Amino acid sequence: MVNMMPIRVVVADDHALVRSGVRALLAASGVDVVAEAKDGRELLSRVREHVPEIALVDLSMPLLDGFEATRRIPSVSPGTRVIVLSMHGDERYAERAGRLGAWAFLTKDEAPDRLIDVVRRVAAGERLLASDGDGSEPLSPREREVLQLIAEGKKNAEIASLMHRSVHTVRNHRARLMRKLGVRTAPALIAEADARELIDLGASGRVA
Amino acid sequence: MTIRVAIVDDHRLVREGLKRVLSAESEFVVVAEAGRGGDVQAIVVDHAPDVLLLDIALPDIDGLTVIDQVLKKAPETRVLMLSMHAEPEYSTAAVARGAYGLVGKSVSAETLFDAIRTVASGEKLPLERTLSSREREVLKLITNGRANGEIAVTLGIRPKTVEGHCERLMRKLDIHTRAGLVAHGRRIGLQ
Repeated sequence: MVNMMPIRVVVADDHALVRSGVRALLAASGVDVVAEAKDGRELLSRVREHVPEIALVDLSMPLLDGFEATRRIPSVSPGTRVIVLSMHGDERYAERAGRLGAWAFLTKDEAPDRLIDVVRRVAAGERLLASDGDGSEPLSPREREVLQLIAEGKKNAEIASLMHRSVHTVRNHRARLMRKLGVRTAPALIAEADARELIDLGASGRVA
Repeated sequence: MTIRVAIVDDHRLVREGLKRVLSAESEFVVVAEAGRGGDVQAIVVDHAPDVLLLDIALPDIDGLTVIDQVLKKAPETRVLMLSMHAEPEYSTAAVARGAYGLVGKSVSAETLFDAIRTVASGEKLPLERTLSSREREVLKLITNGRANGEIAVTLGIRPKTVEGHCERLMRKLDIHTRAGLVAHGRRIGLQ
């Protein structure tokens, strides 16, 4: 490997300890972590800034989740390939990530050697996830984004400012979401979206 | 003096990552690691670590039950819980069971180092602001979609008092919308 340029990676995870650990593991194998991000929005900025070969992306992140960030990465850096690093090995997550353009799907249960191997293979151009489908989903990407921000307790004005849209537009998204999910209030919207697994409230770590 | 640490976390990448981060510091030695709660008793008996870093959510045994086992088998080992979610409820529950504290995985490595040092010195970590049992009840009813008027009737208190509880909940949890409270309530399993 001495003759190879180091692979440049951006690591996105909302848990700083997980990021530090992944960074340490990659660094030990000569992979260069050029930046870290704690949410999907920061990830897009760092990817735009550093144009890495690989983005290592957690799915459950605040402000913009890993699915939506994965879908948008080509628009900020077409050459960057996404490897999803998920807490849950759910087949549906992997399929959805593939539909949205991810090249590989790993869970946090994997051995470090496997992580390094997958990073090297994807950097070399090997796609490990099927990418069929058109990425279409019951909710539009914008609606999903608004839904996540409502679940995080953001008010319309904050959502508008985060999305660089008018409050009026946000209200329209909110109204459409409620219509699609058949509810009339924001609390009911969150309950329904959680029940249909349209959002991930991060139920792992729950104390019984 | 080096601090001898054992790590229990079911996610191998997280566990091995943490091990590497701690091992890079000369003051910490990682003496053992495991991915299952069932292995903890053997670890604390064989290695007698100063500090056991214990993930609260394990696949086989509840992290809180593991605390009991450690207290029994290796009372000199101090348990520091790790959690994806640093909810005040989790800290309270863990410390009530005998842990020395809980840190969320969203803290920096330096904060974790500090927490390990504190716990190793025999001190407990300060508790986060905790919810009263009445506030918990109100949060549960909010999570179930009840309006303030209904909550007042259910609990036999005045609507004004319910409003007061809501305001305190929002302040303590730093959540400022009702939908945010519902999401939080569902996340911590208050349905």
